[in-house]
Amino acid sequence: MATTTRRPALPGPRDSAGRGRGRRLRDFRFGLLMAGPALAIIVLLLGYPMGYAFYMSLYDWNDKLGGHRPFVGLGNYVALLGDAQVHAALGRTLVFAAFTVIGGVVLAVLIGALLNVDFRGRTVVRVLLLVPWAVPPVVNGIMWKLIFDGATGIVNAIGLGLGVFDERVQFLADPDLTLSVLIFAEMWKLLPFLCLLMLAGLQGIPANLSKAARIDGANAWQRFSRIIVPNLRVPILFALVVQTMWSLKVFDTIFVLTGGSGGPAEGTTTINFLAYLVTFSNLDRGYGAAIAVIAMLLVLVFAVLWVVLLRERPKGARR
Amino acid sequence: MVYSLSRRRALQLGATTAGTFALAGCVGANSTDSNTGAEDGPLAPGDSPSGEITILDDNTNQVFQDSTIAAFEAATGITVRTYTQGNFNDLHDRFATLFAAGDTSIDVVMTWAGWTAEFGQAGWLQELDSAAVPDDLIQPALDAVSWDGKVYGLPKFASVQTMFWNKNMMGEADLDPEAGPQNWDEFVEAAKAMTTEDRWGFACDVGNPAGAYQNFLRVLLLNGGDMYDDEFRPIFNSEHGVEALAKFAELLTVHGVMDPASLQTTNASDLGDQFARGSTGMVFNWPFQYAVATAAESQLDTESVGNGLIPGMSVRSASIDGSEGFAISKFSQNKDAALAWLQFAASAEVQREIVEREGWFPVSQTVLEDPQSREALPVLETYEESTQYATKRWGVPWSNELDQLLSVQISDVLNERTSAQDALDSAAQQTQELVDRYLG
Repeated sequence: MATTTRRPALPGPRDSAGRGRGRRLRDFRFGLLMAGPALAIIVLLLGYPMGYAFYMSLYDWNDKLGGHRPFVGLGNYVALLGDAQVHAALGRTLVFAAFTVIGGVVLAVLIGALLNVDFRGRTVVRVLLLVPWAVPPVVNGIMWKLIFDGATGIVNAIGLGLGVFDERVQFLADPDLTLSVLIFAEMWKLLPFLCLLMLAGLQGIPANLSKAARIDGANAWQRFSRIIVPNLRVPILFALVVQTMWSLKVFDTIFVLTGGSGGPAEGTTTINFLAYLVTFSNLDRGYGAAIAVIAMLLVLVFAVLWVVLLRERPKGARR
Repeated sequence: MVYSLSRRRALQLGATTAGTFALAGCVGANSTDSNTGAEDGPLAPGDSPSGEITILDDNTNQVFQDSTIAAFEAATGITVRTYTQGNFNDLHDRFATLFAAGDTSIDVVMTWAGWTAEFGQAGWLQELDSAAVPDDLIQPALDAVSWDGKVYGLPKFASVQTMFWNKNMMGEADLDPEAGPQNWDEFVEAAKAMTTEDRWGFACDVGNPAGAYQNFLRVLLLNGGDMYDDEFRPIFNSEHGVEALAKFAELLTVHGVMDPASLQTTNASDLGDQFARGSTGMVFNWPFQYAVATAAESQLDTESVGNGLIPGMSVRSASIDGSEGFAISKFSQNKDAALAWLQFAASAEVQREIVEREGWFPVSQTVLEDPQSREALPVLETYEESTQYATKRWGVPWSNELDQLLSVQISDVLNERTSAQDALDSAAQQTQELVDRYLG
């Protein structure tokens, strides 16, 4: 006769899992309760206007047509596809973003690396670096407008004085030149923040890593590309995401630099500024809202793109 | 009885609140909420208006702040709660935001022909009854506050552009300082003669969309062209228009007599200051230019400022209108008191001050014909002379879009990226789309 031995009814894995789930659920509820008010505020402050903007974008909502606002569904979005003005604004936005995001981050890494080197007067340089960051955006715009003024600007005075220019250059009259000035003004404003971000990241890298690499015979470029850059992955990712958002949403510098026109000849009208012009200057709120929604999607797409491209893959994930 | 707020109840409350907010946003898209107040017809003067008003003006007139407000309050018993001045280039969008939000805090807003048409058609300005309009208003000034047969405000000053020249520079260039150029060819020759290494014969303000439109419209009229035909079809790309734009661009690209900085000058005030600094031979500008050029801080004075008709290309002369006025917001809660302000600003008493102290033309025929006005403002003589020639502004509901699209084309022509013909053909096609949209 076979005998069986029954194990005592000890708490099994099932019960343990059940208790674990219960705890997680309670934690989740507690977390929700704590975060609830903040989430509600975010929904009201961000979700409501965003939803309302999308709602408006479904209508032919032009205030100059009186109260007649027919529902057009995705008609405004279809119209955007064939709108040369929108295409041009998108192109300008991408050019502007390419310089200010990629260029800005690359410059910030290089400047940050220089500032991380121990040299006399380093503290003074770091403080001076903060000056552009302390200048309000509107003042920044006015300052560069005066500096690049075609008649009285100091850039022309210096250029003519040094014999670099044959005649006064109308930086703010030619669409391409004005876009260059805009990029320059934005870079000047954004670099301090990016540099400090990189500097903070650089100071978190153990110094003996570089020392060891140097002993192993790595040159400066190898140490920069193999040690510094990989260890700056997180600050770089953050900088890319944040800077992409700022660049796609740039407004104040354009407004001040161009007298609120996005000119000359729409040369500085980025997609966000176009949304403003269409909504507030043309009073075409439905179409303007559609452009704004596209601008928002653009920001989201780029933010996700950076995260996907630069996310840290688990070691051994690819075998 | 004690109520306890359970989590479920709190969530329900939150969801209800969020739902209420969401529903509040879902106003009917076909509603006419922008026309609230439409139940009252055109506004006629009340018996004894009282209360207080808020005014949002541009920064053209200091006289209101200096003396008119006090005089108005003393005469009517109405209080001006706030009088705010904004930069002209920023005001449009500020007004648009206020109106779109149905803001009731502003009673009176500054307006001109384009905004009157735009905001009037949107249902945001209060239409006035004919009983509220003074009898002796001059027509161009009244046009600035009217659209589609309706009067939406009262003018505060009249304005057309005339030519101002620097007599000193004329003399130095061996030109007759007393007689300005009589036609476009003489104008170009004079501009060439006055252009030196550090001085320019001519300067203008094409640095923003409105400026680009004004400069184009002026040369179009100077060459006998027009913007639209009788059925509002764009005709500015006619032979007259193309030739006019080409000749205008040649001032910069061929003759080299236009200050290149004109392409970045964004308003008439900057142009006025530039002329007053004595580095520009000739400008076409609004009447205030005389006051600026003869002010104490100017390099010029009454003896060295010349004024006359703008020289024409294929006609003797033409000009553009820049009259401004005040309108009442449809959302105002103090419309009777606001109307009293409009009428006071258009009165002979205030108009005389505007002529004498600021150099703008009066909106009242009586003040215009007053010998005292001419003595105070010599430019008035040229103004009277200019009434024989075409003077237009074409303020329409699509003014902003038109300014924008024309400015792109004009900039391309001035930067020699396209021909005048191609630029105007493209602009005319886009304008036709706007006309179709707004006039159906």
